[in-house]
Amino acid sequence: MIAARPERLFAAWTTPELLQQWWGPAGVRCTAAEIDLRPGGAYRIGNTLPDGRVIWISGEFEVVESPHLLSYSWRTGGEHVSRVTVSFAALGEGSTEVVIHHERIHSAPVRDEHEHGWAGCLDGLERWLAA
Amino acid sequence: MRSTDDRLDHLFGALSDRTRRKMVTRLSRAPATIGELAEPFAMSLPAVSKHVRVLERAGLVRRTIDGRIHRCALERKRLREANEWIERYTEFWDGTLDALAAFVESK
Repeated sequence: MIAARPERLFAAWTTPELLQQWWGPAGVRCTAAEIDLRPGGAYRIGNTLPDGRVIWISGEFEVVESPHLLSYSWRTGGEHVSRVTVSFAALGEGSTEVVIHHERIHSAPVRDEHEHGWAGCLDGLERWLAA
Repeated sequence: MRSTDDRLDHLFGALSDRTRRKMVTRLSRAPATIGELAEPFAMSLPAVSKHVRVLERAGLVRRTIDGRIHRCALERKRLREANEWIERYTEFWDGTLDALAAFVESK
């Protein structure tokens, strides 16, 4: 729960100049932010760690419903993609409940299929070798 | 040597299935044979074995073979790894929300 209205929080989350002023946990500074705020629009956020390394978070927006709901894909290098959903619900008296869902929606089903495929091949090879 | 990301992909892939999660829960109590693991499920032994293989590849289960008996045991170290990964994200988002609150509430 944060003592601000959804509109302000949504703006802070989606406006590069504002985002740069607060983003990241302690020790991480947001040193770059580009945001194309529309479904299908891309964003990327540069996170500078205490040791000077920069980690880029990037993705595309899937849902943009100002000022209550945001959903976007999330990549931090590599192929792995997860999804972040943020909701801002007004609680009255100018405060807002912020809920974050970070789902790891990687390609597990697809990969499992491949795994099964390969496992089957390898089993066959094992049987063949053992015969 | 597989990268941490690859390991986590296998780990969470293995845990993304309810049958395999139930198997992990069962094994967290005690090691079990494939037959014992199959008991709660309406599933053939080869199907159970397939699930166990996914758990093995993720490093969550260690299988020892004694004649015809396959015994499975849980590798707790791997489960801890999954937990640590989740905790890192929890810390990240907690810290991020604290920063957001500090930012908007200071104005």
